[in-house]
Amino acid sequence: MDQKNEMKNDMVWVGLEQLTNDPEYTKSIEQEFSNQPSLAEQLVEKGSAANRRDFLKYMGFGLGAATIAASCEIPVKRAIPYVVKPDEIVPGVATYYASSYVQGGDYCPVLVKTREGRPIKVEGNTLSSVTKGGTSARAQASVLSLYDNNRLQGPCKIINGEVEFFNAKSDDAAGAWKIVDDAIKAKLTPNSNIKIVANTIMSPLTLKAVEDFSKVYPNTELVQYDAVSYSAMIQANEASFGLAGLPTYRFDQADIIVSFNADFLGTWISPVEYATQYSSKRKIGKDLETATMSHHIQVESHMSLTGSNADNRILVKPSEQGAAILALYNALAINQGKEIVSGPAVNEGVKAQIDKVAAKLLTAKGAGLVVSSSNNKAEQLLINAINQMIGSYGTTISFDRVGNQRKGIDQNIQGLIQSMNSGSVDAVFFLDGANPAYDLPNASTFAAALSKVSLKVSLSGLPNETLLLCDFAAPTHHYLESWGDVEPYSGQYSLIQPTISPLFATRQIEESLLVWSNSSFLTNTSDQPVFDYLKSSWQSMFNQQDTYASFQMFWDQTLHDGVFELPGEVRVNTNAAIPVSSLGSQITKPSKDGLEISFFETVNMGAGQYANNPWLQEMPDPINRCVWGNYLGVPVSWEGGNEFTSLNNLNGREFYGEADKVDVKVNSEAKEVTVVRQFGQMGGTVSLALGYGRTYTGKQGLALGNHVGTSVQSWLGIDQDGNTQYFATGVEVSESKAKEKDFACVQYHHSMGLKAVDPVSGETLNVDEKTAMTVGEGYQGGITERSIIYQSTLKEINHLAEHITEKRGEAEKLNQHTLYPYDEYKENYYEQGHHWKMHVDLNACIGCGACQVACIAENNVPIVGKYEVSRHHEMTWLRIDRYFYGDFENPNVVYQPMLCQHCDNAPCENVCPVAATNHSSEGLNQMTYNRCIGTRYCANNCPYKVRRFNWLDYTTADLFPSNEYPVNEEELPFGADNLTRMVLNPDVTVRSRGVIEKCSFCVQRIQEGKLTAKKEGRRLNENDVKSACQTACPTGAIVFGDANNEESVIADRLNHPLNYLVLEETNTRSSVSYSAKINNKDEALKA
Amino acid sequence: MSAVVSPIREPLITGGKTYHQITEDICSPTERVPSLSWIIAFTISAGFLGLYVFSVFWTIWKGIGSWNLNRTIGWGWDITNFVWWVGIGHAGTLISAILLLFRQKWRTGVNRAAEAMTIFAVICAGQFPLIHMGRLWLGFFIFPYPNTRGPLWVNFNSPLLWDVFAISTYFTVSLLFWYSGLVPDFATVRDRAKGFRKKIYGFLSFGWTGSAKHWQRFESLSLVLAGLATPLVLSVHTIVSFDFATSVIPGWHTTIFPPYFVAGAIFSGFAMVQTLMVITRKVLNLQDYITLGHIESMNKVILATGTIVGTAYLTELFVAWYSGYIYEQYAFYNRVFGPYWWAYVGMMSCNLLSPQIFWSKKIRRSIFWTFVMSIFVNIGMWFERFVIIASTLARDYLPTSWSYYVPTWVEIGIFLGTIGLFFTLYLIFVRTAPVVAVAEVKSILKSSGDQYVMDADKYKEKAVVTEHAETH
Repeated sequence: MDQKNEMKNDMVWVGLEQLTNDPEYTKSIEQEFSNQPSLAEQLVEKGSAANRRDFLKYMGFGLGAATIAASCEIPVKRAIPYVVKPDEIVPGVATYYASSYVQGGDYCPVLVKTREGRPIKVEGNTLSSVTKGGTSARAQASVLSLYDNNRLQGPCKIINGEVEFFNAKSDDAAGAWKIVDDAIKAKLTPNSNIKIVANTIMSPLTLKAVEDFSKVYPNTELVQYDAVSYSAMIQANEASFGLAGLPTYRFDQADIIVSFNADFLGTWISPVEYATQYSSKRKIGKDLETATMSHHIQVESHMSLTGSNADNRILVKPSEQGAAILALYNALAINQGKEIVSGPAVNEGVKAQIDKVAAKLLTAKGAGLVVSSSNNKAEQLLINAINQMIGSYGTTISFDRVGNQRKGIDQNIQGLIQSMNSGSVDAVFFLDGANPAYDLPNASTFAAALSKVSLKVSLSGLPNETLLLCDFAAPTHHYLESWGDVEPYSGQYSLIQPTISPLFATRQIEESLLVWSNSSFLTNTSDQPVFDYLKSSWQSMFNQQDTYASFQMFWDQTLHDGVFELPGEVRVNTNAAIPVSSLGSQITKPSKDGLEISFFETVNMGAGQYANNPWLQEMPDPINRCVWGNYLGVPVSWEGGNEFTSLNNLNGREFYGEADKVDVKVNSEAKEVTVVRQFGQMGGTVSLALGYGRTYTGKQGLALGNHVGTSVQSWLGIDQDGNTQYFATGVEVSESKAKEKDFACVQYHHSMGLKAVDPVSGETLNVDEKTAMTVGEGYQGGITERSIIYQSTLKEINHLAEHITEKRGEAEKLNQHTLYPYDEYKENYYEQGHHWKMHVDLNACIGCGACQVACIAENNVPIVGKYEVSRHHEMTWLRIDRYFYGDFENPNVVYQPMLCQHCDNAPCENVCPVAATNHSSEGLNQMTYNRCIGTRYCANNCPYKVRRFNWLDYTTADLFPSNEYPVNEEELPFGADNLTRMVLNPDVTVRSRGVIEKCSFCVQRIQEGKLTAKKEGRRLNENDVKSACQTACPTGAIVFGDANNEESVIADRLNHPLNYLVLEETNTRSSVSYSAKINNKDEALKA
Repeated sequence: MSAVVSPIREPLITGGKTYHQITEDICSPTERVPSLSWIIAFTISAGFLGLYVFSVFWTIWKGIGSWNLNRTIGWGWDITNFVWWVGIGHAGTLISAILLLFRQKWRTGVNRAAEAMTIFAVICAGQFPLIHMGRLWLGFFIFPYPNTRGPLWVNFNSPLLWDVFAISTYFTVSLLFWYSGLVPDFATVRDRAKGFRKKIYGFLSFGWTGSAKHWQRFESLSLVLAGLATPLVLSVHTIVSFDFATSVIPGWHTTIFPPYFVAGAIFSGFAMVQTLMVITRKVLNLQDYITLGHIESMNKVILATGTIVGTAYLTELFVAWYSGYIYEQYAFYNRVFGPYWWAYVGMMSCNLLSPQIFWSKKIRRSIFWTFVMSIFVNIGMWFERFVIIASTLARDYLPTSWSYYVPTWVEIGIFLGTIGLFFTLYLIFVRTAPVVAVAEVKSILKSSGDQYVMDADKYKEKAVVTEHAETH
């Protein structure tokens, strides 16, 4: 026993003898090699003692071996096997868990793909009746945020704006939490006046935690606000129907959709859900005779994602939006014999169009839908009244399920500033995502008022500007580490379950609130108090259903499905009369005050909460195709001759990758921004995205999101009701001040047939074709006659089908002139086994970019940073090309997802000198990275320009750190650390510098599907293999599968009469077919 | 060779040289202490060579990303320079092989330097296919060597592979041709040298004794090599042109490329020979061997090939229009009027228009204009390759991928560096080997020496007068 005590606690022993220091054992250890004679002894035994030559030989060998061994630095690899392997984890096989992505009001039910315990990808949850399996770019990118180096690793103290960072590797987590908890609890008394500031909380659990917290601290108030506010809408609904909430919209029931600046396909409330609904009314079936489409009219000044998909756009200045809504109301009121509301008038041109819109809405009675993003209560009341008049309630709008996605009320957060200033607030808690010190219009006022509060705690998982103003940080988990629930619509629930144990010493918001309120749920026996808390709170959901008899069955099934639904119920009388007579004076007054600017939320960056996510930063904006920053969209006008001129003659050399920087002055505050020419931007207006110019997204020198773009928050206005306004008037834009060094725009070229009238000849011309030339004039037909995009209107759909047939016939005729008989090959190879093909419905594609981010996540596509993108070194395997067509001043847009076409007669394959790229018998164009020597001939010879070269060591996979470049001036290059690399998909090779890469049709998924089918001893069916872009798409625009399987959707889609192959006349025999874009444009709405 | 020469033929050797004088004149530069001008020139060249080494190191160390090529324009200055240098390397073999077969006596004055130039130019050209690779260290994959990777073999369909064979064959044959011609001359130098030099040249001349048997074998070898090299002159640049012609890119995919590239190569090769000869004959005092007659002959070749190339440019435009293929039409519109219009203007004016001044005999025989034009043509031919490569790639099928390209300092450094490499090698060559083929010049002395040609004085005076008029 004495001997045992001598052993140190942390010592590892082998057998009892060592533990007890058995003398024999000790001796044997000392003489471990004693039974082997030494070298000298061996030599003596042989009868020849070591002589000089032997000595030199052994020395030489020894030195040589040592040198070789020492010169290779062998990296330390840690692999720790399971002691007891969990049943559900099979190395190499992915496991999926249902969960929900939530960030403020963003919501997407997902399946989380985990490999060996690491979440690496999210897929949409097809069981959800809200999103039906669709995802957004944000949801796809959310998995990367889990492995963000800048996440707070544990509780911190913040002293004078300096964060004392907790280091998860070396610091004592429990101790640190105790210090922080004690300090917070010490400052709280039952009488404390506490404010909990949060973005919209959709989680019943979080609300319950807040409620339980306020039982202990009765003077607690929950202040919800949203960085992009919908408070006028909520207030208008309250005023109209007595219900402060959002309705459920049914874009799939609407024949006429009128949107006043609401970007419902991109960012407005629940875009994934709406996109799914919207596209169901926009797809063209195989029978062209009976084809119908909804008609979508967008009223806006800047080209939004939704506006780009609209059939008609009516250009209205931001300050005239209210007047335009009023004009629509009055036009309908006249028709229905109601009293008109007097108020500011919109200009004659717009009024004439609004009248036509009104007429259309009336003919489609009951199948119309009018929405607006206005944050003016009077305007939203008018919208409600309009929807009442056209009979939308009950058909396209319903309150049977109340939308919880936005709950923020601007007046509440503004009121908080006043109470903090008056000194009546004792403590403020900022829940995850709430960052008022950045995203409020009067952020600096907020910051000043906050300093008067004695206890300020941030519960945000990621550092932000507000954190710096706090005393403590009590960071929460990432959603992939959390337990929780969501109620996006009343009665529709989904669960959040952890897919990895917390990476850092963080603690969920609910637990923190329970700790600070000394809740009984924190028993010592439970190591997952939030889990217990969640289960107990779901008892009430269980009680409301009758499908499952026991709670455990109910719980298990719900957790498995991820979603759970209770029936909806009629809650309000939507026929209640809305008082409108006085609204005319409360709507926004049209401004005569010069240039106007609108501020909008982008698909990727939101209101800035995603700033530190490089996948989103490097996702090109769907419209202006720029990355890593916000760019001032300026209108473009056709000057005739060889010129189109943008505001103040800016960006004349965009073709050369040169952009101008200007000073934009709003309310006498000037900021320098980079300009991009924006087709569809209304004359006399400019636009700039929200959510950029974050100053603190993490440690200086480590955070990727710091100082990207320009913050516009301080330019936002507040109206008489206290609601934030997302536009400004009287804007001044200076002449070019400087050149943007790194103009990171992935697509300079703009059009596929923009038409304008030549001022000299009076003829209608293709503007872009004229201006594409530097010297002299362009060649009419040089771009538009290319077989890249086919588009037409619904009325002329038969004509288009004929046109496509004719063009394809011509191409086919050309392709017959070949030495190499394709048909023979096709018969012998591609008609045997599988033949993988893809179909993209250009009519369903809305350009949201979810597929692009999904592809990055699935295929370990590198992120390269702004400078590299400005040099056109972006690595995206799938890009969404955007083309403008139609009227020059007010064009339409078509999006074309462009990826490797897997040509059966691929130009890239025959030119590779080392056969690094070749064709599989299943029609895949394969890339063998190991074999590639990087001549780039394949990329040159690709007509679609989809091949990507690793110009530098973007994946930090090289041995030489000298090749690793930071993407945004951070000290540790993105991806160079083990944490970030956890997001890599182990099924996909990480490519080294100097090789070409490209879309593989997700060959790893094909392989997995084939193996599954083989193991189950059956034929592969179409559900076995789905590409990452296909599963990400909310509108079902992308279909992938085996064309030889005649029952598959892809085989069916390949027979669509509007199908075509891009650049078919080059005889590449591509495997990706597109079906043409159809527009339901109403020519009567001339604008 | 010593056939009767018509009196209207211009003498190819002036100054009434004897055999001994020829040996003296040509061998002495290798025996003197280098002149100041040589030292200066060598220092500058070596400096540029240093720039080359550094730029290449930078490229390999940092990656091809240190160049400004991009997703759309995968080849830029690198392949432009490659084709340019290969083109320059064409004159030497043309002069030594084809003109030998055609029994053009004037080739003897310039063939040695031209062949040397060929070899150095091909060395420069050979750098680019290597350093433009993303993974140079795996460059050996392009050789069809037996390996343990199963049936893995190179892709014989790829023009890049044909390039490997074409260039290496061309280099080998040119080197052999050049060296075999040097053997009798090295023997001459050896016979004049003493000590260590004698040993080196003795080794280099392979024990040449000048016996009749040696001469017989020498002549046979020359003919055989000339026979081998002649098709190579046509094939190498034809194959280089396949790098473009076999692609699907409009502006590359054209059947006119092989003849057009060969003509262009000869055109630029002769221009480079002119650039070098005009300086070399002056510095090494070889005006009697590289006469205005030689220069005029080469200017005629430049005029002829320049016009062929120009015709090809115009034919391309015509065919683009006539084809009715919109992509092709647009590609050529874009070449002329697009963002790289200046390169097209440079190409047209330097290659098609400016050589037309050689219709004038006075200009053809002017040293000054010859030198100016040779530089023009070198620039013009560089532009031609740039137009074909970069401006074509910049705007191909999908307008969404269009791009623009400006090189980085690394790319410029590599280009200037290869010029340094070229001149360093050339300057070493003029110091160590007879710049004019001594034996071959001697073989035509009796037929083309001015003392044997009637009315020789008339040419001589004229030459001197013209030269003075231009140099002052």
